[in-house]
Order: sequence, then structure tokens, then C-alpha cells
Amino acid sequence: MLLEVRLYSGLEKYVENAQYGKPIQVELPEGATVKQLLDKLGIPQEQVFSVLVNGTHYNCSDVMEDGDRVALFPPVGGG
Amino acid sequence: MSKFIRLDMTTQKVKIEEVPEKYRALGGRALTSQFVLDEVPATCHPLGPKNKLIIAPGLLSGTSAPSSGRLSIGGKSPLTGGIKEANAGGITSQKLASLGIKAIVIEGKPEKGTFIARVTADSVEIIPADDLAGKGTYELTAILKERYNEKAGVICIGPAGEMKMLSAGITNNDPEGNSSRYAGRGGLGAVMGSKGLKAIVVECDKTFDAPVKDKERFKTAARKFADILLKHPVCGEGLPKFGTNVLMNIINEAGTLPTRNFRTGRFDAAGEVSGEKLAEVAVARGGKATHACHPGCVMRCSNVYPMPDGKVCAPIEYETAWCFGPNLEISDLDVVAKLNYICNDVGLDTIEAGCTLGVLMEAGVIPFGDGQAAIKALEEVVKGTPLGRIIGAGAAVAGKVYGVTRVPAVKGQSIPAYDPRSCRGNGVTYATTPMGADHTAGYAVTANILKVGGYVDPNKDDGQIELSRNLQVATAAVDATGLCLFVAFAVLDNEEGLPTIVEMLNAQYGTELTVEDVTALGQQILKNEREFNAKAGFTKADDRLPEFFYEEELTPHKTKFALKEELDEVFNF
Ligand code: SF4
Repeated sequence: MLLEVRLYSGLEKYVENAQYGKPIQVELPEGATVKQLLDKLGIPQEQVFSVLVNGTHYNCSDVMEDGDRVALFPPVGGG
Repeated sequence: MSKFIRLDMTTQKVKIEEVPEKYRALGGRALTSQFVLDEVPATCHPLGPKNKLIIAPGLLSGTSAPSSGRLSIGGKSPLTGGIKEANAGGITSQKLASLGIKAIVIEGKPEKGTFIARVTADSVEIIPADDLAGKGTYELTAILKERYNEKAGVICIGPAGEMKMLSAGITNNDPEGNSSRYAGRGGLGAVMGSKGLKAIVVECDKTFDAPVKDKERFKTAARKFADILLKHPVCGEGLPKFGTNVLMNIINEAGTLPTRNFRTGRFDAAGEVSGEKLAEVAVARGGKATHACHPGCVMRCSNVYPMPDGKVCAPIEYETAWCFGPNLEISDLDVVAKLNYICNDVGLDTIEAGCTLGVLMEAGVIPFGDGQAAIKALEEVVKGTPLGRIIGAGAAVAGKVYGVTRVPAVKGQSIPAYDPRSCRGNGVTYATTPMGADHTAGYAVTANILKVGGYVDPNKDDGQIELSRNLQVATAAVDATGLCLFVAFAVLDNEEGLPTIVEMLNAQYGTELTVEDVTALGQQILKNEREFNAKAGFTKADDRLPEFFYEEELTPHKTKFALKEELDEVFNF
């Protein structure tokens, strides 16, 4: 399956040529979890604070689907 | 000894009093709201002689407690017609506290004329200052610093406040002299303007000189609190790295970024006005991605953004980047900075100005996405033209003038940067806080989106009432301490947070407060504010969101806001 992944707020530095917010296409086997995505991208799990899949919070063990929009964030806050 | 300073603007006489017994244990919002309830008739005209403005440092301001230099300003709001506490950073709170000043009260109204007040360790005077009328806040602050004291803190209003515009704010300066730290919301700048007071110059070379009873005990607690902040991922890492505007992308991804005057929840070009972009441009131009609004802040969420015209906008906050960016479909950070700077200089609340421009775009007065047209419109404010006055009067008035039904405002104050349909905890806060729509009053984005202090699904109703209630109580208490609200991220996640705040208070004042007392204080503040609003004529009907949030679906989550009668449960304590 093909995922549309966006990295933000410094996480982009783990992936060669990635820019924050610019979508990258990632190919993973059907039924892949968030954890598998992080492993494939080489992003340490402890650096990732929020995973939004189509705008909804996912955990590392949650399974994604083909065409999902995935956004990864380190700790962020403000107001 | 701690004192109350009363500036009687009718006679231009100053009275310095001992703090009345009733107010001794209060500070910040606890003090301003109690005082307004006690001394301001709820039905008075907000711009008449009976309204009073009260400026109070928080309880911990002027000590070594980290991030404790917040200032509360209270009065009856001309924008909402209800009670108001607007909260600002900047350097003045610590100076007032170091001078032993519990509060400055501004009352009465002169027949005519412009005045300033000068506060030093030895004296307080009201000085005629007709030469300063009409000055923008940046120039005004520079003049007053040069005239009196380079290190002074200057609390002031711009021309918008002098023209008594409903969304005029009161500002004070950061350590570099930028007059950009606003008690922005609710139009208190118009109240100050109605009293003919252009500025208060606070001269005090000390920053951390507020009296502390048990110094050693305090130091230990303050260190521990700094440690709690720095160890928290948001307070210690997230905020210092990209500032508040780091929120832009996550709120966009979460699908709750109000776009095109609250029509959709995502903006394709959000990244162009995000904290990441801001940091990149600011640093490339010799600015700063991180900056403290007052000495002693360890979270340093602020920034310094050099603009193409050579001036500096410091900071560009998330709320401002949103209201002038996605809300207007503008994706040019330089345009956002310019709009922000104009507001700071003329003296307007940025959130209100951005939402008002959104309503004007909705009405077709200017096109969505047209940055230059937005700048031109905002430049009308300083001239006091009819269009300028409509903009200065805020979104609700602009909506009425142009017959617009899609007006994002509660109690006459416009809604900030999280759509209530897909961040429902904030929706509850917007609807119910006595302040009029205000994100800081009960920032449910924490549990709804940021996964701080637990998790409550932002697109469901379950748990939102309770979430907002608890946050509103906690926030009221934090606003009394003078701590920056952003400490809440750490305090919500660390059970030692609140006890450590209580420990600092006890060490400073020699009290024996408990955590329960602090919760009770937060509840009492809200009760006072609700009592004032009830006397001013507010009912349950005022605790609701605008109709369109209940009728129109927000994409991408296809959600509507549904909570109505349930909202009346928020204050059942
Ligand atoms: S966190 Fe930001 S707003 Fe709060 S006190 Fe520090 S610099 Fe000011």
C-alpha cells in the first residue's frame, strides 16, 4: 500500500531530502502499523509524540490503510 | 509594604493606599476580577466614568519563579459588555511587583486632554501629555523611555484606544523595547483611552525584588519548578524550538484549522505561515526563532521576525499567524507580519482584527486571499475613517454593519484558532467562559489535539464538558499567580507541578495554602466573573456558539457542534 507521509518540526531531518510538510510517498505491505512506518523511515520512536492519520490520533500499533495521509510530530504546543 | 495606587483621572490626583485586607491574598486575575465585581457597577457604560481599569501583577511576579512575569488587566469590557481579564507578558509586571505595587487602579474620566502616569520607587504622578496624542505604540514607547528612563516598562495604548475602538488592546514592552506584549482582548485599550490615559511609565531597575518571606524555601521550590518545566517535552523542547506557531501544522493536520472565515478545517498552504517557516526566515534574516518576553522565562516561546521594510515584528504568535493567514487564505508570512505590526502599532487585538477582516472578506468588501487589500484596509484604522472604525469595532459589529451571518464570535468576542466543531473541548470553553470566546480560558487543545493531560477525542462530545470545566478552574488559578499559562502543559502531566506552585506561594507569603485551596481560588474567580456578567444581563443564551457551527459541517471530519443545554453544566460547582 502507498501512504502519503508528512514530517514536521524537525522530524524531517531523519529522512534524506525530506522537507517539513512536503508529502513523501512511502510503500509498505498491506496491514502495516505506524511502528513499521517509523522503522522504514528510520525515525526513532521516542522522537515521535503525535501521529495523525487522516486527522485522527493513532498509536504505534495501529494499522494504516492504502492512501492514508499520515503526519508525524515531535512534542509541540503553544496557544 | 504592598500598596494600591489609584489614579483619579477626573481630578488627575493620585492616591496611594495600603492594600485593603480583602485583597491581600489575591493577585493577577483573582484580584482584578474580585475588584471589578466589587467596585464597577455591572450596568455602567464601559467607556463612562464609572468603569475602572485595574492592572495587577500576578502573585509570584517579581520573584525568581520561572515564567512568572505575567500581568493581568481587568475592567468591564466594551466589546463583550461583561467582565474582562486580559493577560500580558512583557517586563512591566515584574517591575510593579518589585516596587511593591499590588495594583494600579484607573478611575474617573477627565473633561478633556491626554495624560500619562509616571511611577517610580518614590513617587507617582499624572502628567499632561497632549504632545503624545495620536502616537503609535512603538514611537510612543521609544519617546517615553528616552524621556524618563531607558529601562522603563511602558504600559500604553495606540490611536485605536484613544479613538475608543471596541477591540483596542493595552500593550507593554519586551526587554528590547518592542511594544508588542498585549493584554489584547476585549477592548480594554478603549477603556484606558476613555480615561485620557495614554501610557503608564514604570521605572524600576529591579526585576526580581518582590518581597519573599522564606527565601531559601522559595529558591528550592522555584528551582524544582524550573526543572519540571524543562523536563516536559512541550515546555522544555517544543516551545523553545519553534514557539507557539509550531501549532500551525498540527492543527491543520488535525483538520481543525479555521480556514476562509471558518468554512473548512484545512488550509493547503498552512506550512507557508507555520512556525517552521517562520524560524527559517527569521534566522536567515538575522532574527531569532526563540526569545523570552520577560527575564526569567525558561520556555521562551517568542520570536523576532525581521520584515522586508527593515522593521521587526516580535513576536508572531500562532493565533496571529492563523487569523491573518489561513483565516483569510493568505499564505505570505511577510503579509502576516505586516498586519501584525500594524495592529501592534495602532493598538488593536490581532485575533479580533483578523476575524473582522475575515467577516469583511465574507461580505465581499475585500477579496479572500488578497494580502495587499487586507493591509490597505487595516491602514484605515489609524486614520479613523468609517471603514477603519468598523474594523476597530470587531467582528460582531462588522457582521451587523454588512449583514453577514457567518460571524465567529461569542459574547461579541471573536473565536480564535481552533474550530469548535473538531476541537470540541475548546468549543465548550468558547461558549461558556465569562470572557467571551477565548482559547486561553480553558485550553482543551491540550487533551483534544496535543495529547497533554490525557486524551479526549476532539470530534466527540464525551468528556468535553468536564475537560473544559477543569481547565477553566485551573487556568483561573494560574492567571492569579502570574505564571505564564504555558506552564500548564507541564503541570497537567506532572503531579508534582501544582504542589510546587503552592509551595512557592507559601514560601513567598508565609501562608499555608493547600492544593485544594488553589482549586477553590480558581472556582471563586469564575464565580465572581459569572456574578458580574449575570448582573450585567448575561443569561444562558449567551453561553452558546453562533448558529452556523450547529448547522454547517466542517471538513475534513464532517462534524457539527451539537452541545447546547449540556453547556449549562460547566459551572455546576
Ligand atoms: S512562554 Fe512565551 S508567552 Fe509565556 S512567559 Fe515565556 S516567552 Fe512569554
